[in-house]
Amino acid sequence: MDFLFLFLKDFVIQLQSPTLGFLIGGMIIAALGSELVIPEAICTLIIFMLLTKIGLTGGIAIRNSNLLDMVLPMIFAIIVGVIIVFIARYTLAKLPKVKTVDAIATGGLFGAVSGSTMAAALTLLETQKIGYEAWAAALYPFMDIPALVTAIVVANIYLNKKKRGTASDATMQESYSKQPVAAGDYPSTRQEYRSQQQDTKDHRVKIWPIIQESLRGPALSAMLLGLALGILTKPESVYESFYNPLFRGLLSILMLVMGMEAWSRLGELRKVAQWYVAYSVVAPFVHGLIAFGLGMIAHYVTGFSLGGVVILAVIAASSSDISGPPTLRAGIPSANPSAYIGASTAIGTPVAIGLCIPFFIGLAQAIGGR
Amino acid sequence: MAKPAKKLVIVTEKILLKKIAKIIEEAGATGYTVMETGGKGSRNVRSSGQPNVSDTQANVKFEVLTSDRDMAESIADEVAVKFFLDFAGVIYICDAEVLYGHSFCGPEGC
Repeated sequence: MDFLFLFLKDFVIQLQSPTLGFLIGGMIIAALGSELVIPEAICTLIIFMLLTKIGLTGGIAIRNSNLLDMVLPMIFAIIVGVIIVFIARYTLAKLPKVKTVDAIATGGLFGAVSGSTMAAALTLLETQKIGYEAWAAALYPFMDIPALVTAIVVANIYLNKKKRGTASDATMQESYSKQPVAAGDYPSTRQEYRSQQQDTKDHRVKIWPIIQESLRGPALSAMLLGLALGILTKPESVYESFYNPLFRGLLSILMLVMGMEAWSRLGELRKVAQWYVAYSVVAPFVHGLIAFGLGMIAHYVTGFSLGGVVILAVIAASSSDISGPPTLRAGIPSANPSAYIGASTAIGTPVAIGLCIPFFIGLAQAIGGR
Repeated sequence: MAKPAKKLVIVTEKILLKKIAKIIEEAGATGYTVMETGGKGSRNVRSSGQPNVSDTQANVKFEVLTSDRDMAESIADEVAVKFFLDFAGVIYICDAEVLYGHSFCGPEGC
């Protein structure tokens, strides 16, 4: 009862917080067909500033903290990132009308981390005066990269297996259906494209390029840059005068854009299987609870703070919406982007920000006995 | 003196920009022009006007001038076979005449 009360109290506070307010506001004005457009260039800049600020905060504080405490949460972050993909592979993929490749890509996106969701969680933790380790935000890449790599590798192994299965049938059929084509003619049908593709494409997945691409993504590279600058240089002056004061205002603009995008993607989601909707609502909680449980183990073993446990749970609950989609689009081209980006942006992110953050903070407060 | 040329136009997803640029360069074209576009195709509406934070929605349009049809076709084939099963895209070719262009050599040489 006590916990439920805390959660509800938190939820009402969260509903009134600018973060969620702007997110829902963006959805509403998009639903009303508003002509408001925030230029794309500004979104790019906001993402850079937010993640640089988070990186700087972590970097400045890492200087005087014990990094050995980071090892266990880091290992847990990697484990969660990998597990999430397999959960999707063996639950979502088994549902009717869901293509396995789409399900794996969705798992990869939900395993990856959303910088904006993390920013919202950090803001709320500060508002609630819950202490957390400064380096907790640096767990981001340790969950993000393993999830994307696992998803792309698993999907390609699955596709290669499937291709070997169909290739033997295809050669049989081809000998019957092949009509002579003039030299230099274009492949005119999808089947011809496909047969040409099969000759050219029998690739083993290379893991290193995926890691490189993730690290070069706009969100992660900004955060790592901030971390490095925070550790190696003395950026306090610019941090105090520029990055820190603007942080919340920029976050509110980004939330508005995300709300608008979430609404515009809902239509796409209607075209794919309805199961994605169920998955997107349930998955953030399941993933977050797994991470929360592991975080509690770290809490008892190494004294990982409850605020840190909440951050670990929130980044597990979040699904990437900035750097994840392009990486997956390139890594698993045959997966349908409407399915996984729609599931993540339209439902996953709003659920993670609106429900999961207050839920896990309430859970931590109930356990902390406040 | 106008030089006859072929203009190859490729409209496809922005994520492929670097990969297609590489194909065009390797085919031996002297240059290309890229612009951001939006519009409607067989897959869905992909316009640049929608709210978007991950840049997976934008389209690009390449224009490549080649002196002969063979080079244009080899670029088109490679792009289509490599990408067009999984990505949105269209390729078409037009006749063009280059009036001014320093590095462009027509069929008769520079």
